[in-house]
Order: sequence, then structure tokens, then C-alpha cells
Amino acid sequence: MPTRPVRTNSRPKQRPPEQHRSEDDPRIMLDREVSADLYEPIPPYPTRTEREAEFYTIGDGEMFLNLGPQHPATHGVLRLVLKLSGEQIVDVDPVLGYLHRGVEKICENSDYYHVIDQVDPLEYASALFQEWAAVLAFEKLMDVEVPPRAEYIRVLSAELLRISSHTLFMGFLALDMGGLTPILYSFIERDEIVEMLAALTGARMLFNYFRIGGVNGDLNHEFMSRLGDWMSRAAKQTEANTGLLNENEIFVRRARGVGVMDREMALRFGVTGGNLRASGVPFDVRRAHPYSVYPQLDFNVPTRLEGDSLARYLIRMDEVRESIKIIDQCLNNMPDGPVMAKLPRLLRPHPGRAWGAVEGPRGMLGVYAISDGTDQPFRFRIHDPSFMNLEVVPHLLPGNLLADTMAIVSSLDPIMGGIDK
Amino acid sequence: MAVGDRPTKRAGEDAAATAAGAATETKAAASQLAPITTGELTAPIVVPNTLWQAVNPLAYDGGRPAEITHLREFGLTDAGRHDDGRWGGLQVIPTQADNILDLIRANSLWPLLSGLACCAFEMMSAATSKNDMDRWGMFPFRASPRQSDVLIVAGTLTTKMAGPLVRLWEEMPEPKWCVALGDCTVSGGRYKRSYSTVQGIDRVMPVDVYIPGCPPRPEGLIYGMMQLGQLVKDQRGHWPEREIGPTVPDKI
Repeated sequence: MPTRPVRTNSRPKQRPPEQHRSEDDPRIMLDREVSADLYEPIPPYPTRTEREAEFYTIGDGEMFLNLGPQHPATHGVLRLVLKLSGEQIVDVDPVLGYLHRGVEKICENSDYYHVIDQVDPLEYASALFQEWAAVLAFEKLMDVEVPPRAEYIRVLSAELLRISSHTLFMGFLALDMGGLTPILYSFIERDEIVEMLAALTGARMLFNYFRIGGVNGDLNHEFMSRLGDWMSRAAKQTEANTGLLNENEIFVRRARGVGVMDREMALRFGVTGGNLRASGVPFDVRRAHPYSVYPQLDFNVPTRLEGDSLARYLIRMDEVRESIKIIDQCLNNMPDGPVMAKLPRLLRPHPGRAWGAVEGPRGMLGVYAISDGTDQPFRFRIHDPSFMNLEVVPHLLPGNLLADTMAIVSSLDPIMGGIDK
Repeated sequence: MAVGDRPTKRAGEDAAATAAGAATETKAAASQLAPITTGELTAPIVVPNTLWQAVNPLAYDGGRPAEITHLREFGLTDAGRHDDGRWGGLQVIPTQADNILDLIRANSLWPLLSGLACCAFEMMSAATSKNDMDRWGMFPFRASPRQSDVLIVAGTLTTKMAGPLVRLWEEMPEPKWCVALGDCTVSGGRYKRSYSTVQGIDRVMPVDVYIPGCPPRPEGLIYGMMQLGQLVKDQRGHWPEREIGPTVPDKI
């Protein structure tokens, strides 16, 4: 085995001989002319496309600013190369792939039961929705009927997680714009929700709870007890939390009118979820392509017309209120019965293809699965809403000030796990 | 004993300068001088101990030398370690500065605000209201690597992110420590079979504390940071001798 030379930080035994430099030492720059091309921008690699060549050609008075991948406000490992003119953004080059983990390939090499575990870390802020999309596609592929109690438990747990995700969104949006307090309140709600889901599923973040044909376990006492406690104050607490930002003049003035996305742009880029509804398009997968027991539930699809950062924030807070309504109905209408359909241990669906899509907290989460008759999916394509939402960023940012970058990017609520897969 | 018992470089140079006329004699004298080692203190500074003597010279691990030798040599031996009680009567403790500073560092570990993936949420949960890491002096998540002591690698490290992360680690000033949070950073975890991830961050940087779990609970992170504080206390004064660079050999 080759051994690596051990390097330590300890003092060297002998100091190297002192170097005397003279004026004819070529390493010393004395009155050397500083050539102008020292200040020419150097792209990280030779430009490969016309777009890259255009972006990395700098104009008069412009400069580049690299934002990320390590930045406290980029929601993980997003990297944005900004071209600035003064403090105004001229152009943006988003660089992705810092969290590419090859999930699709791993899923194609796993059997159908294991895929559910592997898709968890994509939307890691709300893992159940990604499981749900995969499970929905597989159930269509195998023509499985899910017991109604399992469907209600799915809706109940997923809507809880939607509240958790939207509450975190509120905290992060405020944090990226300079306010520390709301995230402390966000995490109180989030920790309580994931603790009660941990009582139900056994995990706090990556649940691995949904199964093809049902869910892993029935409701238990601890979950119901925690849920009851939380529901008794949820609506009031939500109003109190949103009051932190809605009544904050600094926040409202910074978020209003920033990053306006009109409905044509949103539709052209395939934006879904709250970002689309904030632009005036009332599209919700739960209504447009109903799945599970959502047709039997009574809830509204909040829509706004402004399309700016403030509207995207307010839409999500409205969705929290709708989710509380849905959870209330689930608890009232919860049927009795089994939580799993009877399925063989080895799943081998007939060759075919299926598309399953659910309404996640960030938009339409889709899975396109192709079966070739073996116990592993032949192709497992993941459609993630964060990726579509992030595509708008290079068109929203130019013209805004540098300080508004995070107010816009954060209001789109990207999750890098889903974007890079 | 006093300074200058053994000839030093400066003494030899002075002799050569004053006796410039008698060239042969000085050359002979210079050739008899001991070999010069640059940069090293050739004669130890010896400070006689007039402050304190044990009543029983054989107490405390067989006693200590009657006179305190040079502090650096004393620090190299293990004589002054693990028996702090013997210095209790002293106003001045002869020790390495790091022995004291590391006690302070152990209770004020400032992490770098750097989240890669899922585990970042649990890291933030550990820092916020319910599990308040601030109670153990671990809170101020610094956004700059120049101001932080601990790098908590929270989340999957991909090959594309490995370069920036190692650069972050190298930008942190010594002393610094590294915590691997989550299965992905410990060993690759659920991405052991992936083509684009680093199978454990100890392939690219040294790791002091491993916290397994997918993701670990916030209590796990707090426990790991408390273990790190104990590690800093246990190894106090010795961090300069730590290996830097990856701790896993090549081709594993």
C-alpha cells in the first residue's frame, strides 16, 4: 500500500537559510508595468457556448461577483456568478451540480421498495412528498388500490410537513433579508411537527414512511396526542408568526415590488406551486389532476396577482391556513380499516410507463417510471419544481440591486437537493 | 548554569571581528567551535527554582528536578502534565500558552455556517430555539472561515463540492477541528454506490468527531460537540503535532 508522507503543523527542526534578495532578482517586481490584462476577467474554463462567451465578456465599468457555493444565504450550495454594473445586476450565471448525488441512477439500480428510501433526500425539507410522487407512479404501474385509511394518513402527514416547510420558508426568507428572530419561531413549529412525525414514522427528516399500497404504520397514541396539542394552538400560532413579518415595515418595503414575475413568464418557464399562484395562475395539482382523497376535502387554492417576493411569501402563509383546514378534516373523517394493501414481496410490474405527480410545497413533484418487467425500474425520471423555479432567476435578477438578490432567490424557495438530484 | 556556556554563533563572529589581525589563530579557534545550528537555541535557559519545593522530594511521581529546566524542554516531557494539583500553591504556572488557551477554546467552539444538504437542517435545529447549542458556547455560527474554529460538514459531499470545501478548511486558521455530521460524511452512507460523491470526508480532510445517523438528531450533534470539547481538553497543547490532510490512505 502506498503511504502518504505525513505532514504536520509542528515547527520545522531547522529554519531554511535566509534568502537575500537583490534588485536583479527576477522575483521582485520593481517598477514593472502592470499590464491591463491582469484585470481582464478569466472564465473558470474555456467558454463552450455562445451564452458563456457573452456572459464572460465584460463591458465598460462592469465587474463579476461570485456568490456561493458557500454562502450563508444561498440555501445550500447554489452558486451564482453575478455581473454587476455598480450595484446593479446586469447578468447572472447560475452554476449548479454541487449536490449532484446520482439519485436517479441509484433508483434504477434499486428494487421498487428501496426506491422510496432513495428518493427521500431530494426534497429534504419535505421528504414525504417526494416519496408520494414515487409511490403514486408505482401504484399506477402496478394497478394497486390503496385503502382509504392509508390515503387519509398520507394526506394528514404530508400536510403537516407542508406546514413545516412553509414555516421554515418564512424564517429563511427573513434570515436572508437580515432578520434573525422569525427563524427562531419557525424552528419551534418545525421541531414540534417533525417530532410528532417521528412518533409516527420513526425518523425526523428522511421518513421512508410511504409504501406501495399504503403506509408503513398506523396512527399511534403519541402521534395523536402531540398532534392534538399542536392543533389546539396551530392556527393562533400561525397568525402570531406571520405577524412578525407582515407587520414589519422594513420587510414589507424590501419585499414588495421586487422580482416581479408575470404569468406569461411563469407559464413559459414551467414554474409551479406557490410561485405560479403568486403570479395569478390558480394551478394546483391537487385540484387540476386530483389524486388521493383530495377531491373529498374542502380547501381553497389561494391566488395572488402581484407576482413579487411579498406575494410569494403571502401565498405560502395562506397555504398554511388551508393545510390546517385539511388536517382538521382528515382527523374528522378518518376511516377505519387496514393501512396496507396486500402485495407480493417481490414486485415485478408488467412493462409499461407511469407518471405520478403531487403538489409539493414548492410545486409539482413528478416521477416518470418505466418498467421493463424486472424488479427494478428501467428508467426513473424525477421532475423537481425547484429546478423549474430556479430557471427564472437569471431573468428576474437583472435590473435589481445586489442587495435584492437574496430577497428574490429566497422567495422562490429552492432546495438544492431536488435541483441537483 | 547560565546562558552562554556553550559557544554560540554570535560569540564566534564577535571573536573573528575583534581579532582580525591574527588570522591564523582565529581560524584555529573558529575550527574548534562546536558546529552551528541555525535557528535553534543552542544553550538552554535554566531558571533556578526559588519559588517552591516539595516537602517530600519523592512525592508526585517520583519527584521533579530541583531546578526548573528550560520551559520548552519541560513542556516536551510529560512531567508537567496530568498533575495540576502540584502547582496549586503557585501564583505563576510555568506552562505552554496552548495548555491554557485550549481550555478556553474547548468551551467556546465556533462553527462555520456551512450546510451542504439534509443534515444542515438538523444543524440549524440544534442551534435554534428548542435545542439551544448556545448553552454550551457553540452557537455563534460564523459566516467566514477566518473566524471559525470548527467545520461541521453537514450533508453529502460531492466531488464537485470537495474542492470548495477543502479550500474552506484550509482558509480556517489554526487551531481548527472538523466534525463529520451524518452517514454521508462518515463513510458515504446511502451514497456508497453513487458515482459522484466522496465516500467519507476523511478522504479529503482530517476528522476529529464522527456523528453517524441519517440525519443525526440535534442531540447527537450537541453530544458530538461536547465530545469535541473533551477532545480539545485532552489533547491540549498538542494540536500543532496533529496530522493535516486526509486521514484515509490512497486507494482504499
